[in-house]
Amino acid sequence: MEAINLARKFGRTSIFRDINFSVAAGESLCVTGPNGSGKSTLLRILAGLLSPTTGKVTHTLDRTIPKDAWLDHTGYTGPLVNPYDELTALEHIRFAGRRAMERATADSFLTRFDLARHRDKKVRYYSSGMKQRLKIILAFLNDPPVLILDEPSTNLDARGKDILHTYIDSIRSGKIIIIATNDPAEERLCGGGIQLGQ
Amino acid sequence: MVSEIIRNLAKDLRVEFRSRFAINISLAFAVIATLALSLATGGIPFPPRVQSVLLWLIIFFSAMNGLSHIFVREDDRGTSLFLLVSTTSDAIYLSKLIYNLIFMSVLLAVITPLFVFFLQVNILGIPPFIISVLTGGLSITAVTTILAAMVAKSGGKGPLFTIISFPLLLPVLWLSIFSTAATLESTGPHGYGTQLFLLAFSGFITALSFLLFRFVWLDE
Repeated sequence: MEAINLARKFGRTSIFRDINFSVAAGESLCVTGPNGSGKSTLLRILAGLLSPTTGKVTHTLDRTIPKDAWLDHTGYTGPLVNPYDELTALEHIRFAGRRAMERATADSFLTRFDLARHRDKKVRYYSSGMKQRLKIILAFLNDPPVLILDEPSTNLDARGKDILHTYIDSIRSGKIIIIATNDPAEERLCGGGIQLGQ
Repeated sequence: MVSEIIRNLAKDLRVEFRSRFAINISLAFAVIATLALSLATGGIPFPPRVQSVLLWLIIFFSAMNGLSHIFVREDDRGTSLFLLVSTTSDAIYLSKLIYNLIFMSVLLAVITPLFVFFLQVNILGIPPFIISVLTGGLSITAVTTILAAMVAKSGGKGPLFTIISFPLLLPVLWLSIFSTAATLESTGPHGYGTQLFLLAFSGFITALSFLLFRFVWLDE
């Protein structure tokens, strides 16, 4: 993934400019910066959910991938990605799984993130930490080669953070992982970093 | 694409069935409006043209209560970004269109017999009457589905939806009233020109909406 001269404005307000980096498979990148510095905006641009005002992002697998196909190989989660209150965790997994999901695969994710006991409970009755665990599962679900995680440990307790960091460590081989965070423990997961708002 | 449409449609039906908000509001409006009209007339039947106008008014306002819900709900509850990262925009549009067609079919299946019974409507050509109601409902659904997406993204919600839909649906309503009245007034052979026009209109609007939907739904 390569970003060249990225800049984003909302109206006349410039959020960031001159962002340049490239990340290869097996590498990870942390985006840090104070609130309002544009971390989430940058991640949404990298996922193809928002266009930059100027500059360009390219995703290359064995060939350059058109922007409207980026989400096919990208796992994305962030504070604005909300699951449906009326559905259960298992129903979310069936919905978000791009290919037919084996029950065992769904169960292994739920067990790993400590949600197996709550698989048939509607999300309406989840705590904010449980919702965050589900959101993380949904981002990892299709084993995408690119993971874009915006503040992934928000609302997680110490055990939840530990599970998340261990899982990221176990799957990082061959993947591009980009994390927006201000958590020093998460920054240590990344090979490199971009500081916004300087 | 087909599997994505099925997954999204199944999800929408499940979510809606568990809340039943939109369908209950729309059906309640339809039943109350029909019964109120019936009581107000005191059993005296209206002329066919007036019956047709009243039928389409009830269908229009009942549908307006529910057809926008499928998109507005995603934005209200903050689930639109999750939907976007899980499904392509083409599949989102087509599954929501199918959902709205199912919703409109349920409404028509309830409103039409109720209206015919309580307002003592004498239908002289049953097949043309049914086709006229179905093609009118199809056209309303085709137009309002893309409008619902625009309204959801504009943050204007329900009242804005009815206001911007009305002028755009006026030709559809006018043709539907005209063709429905014809099936109530005449026993002679019925031409299907108006219904064919409404079918073609629905196809054109659906094709255009399919091509433009991603520009409405993505925050580019």
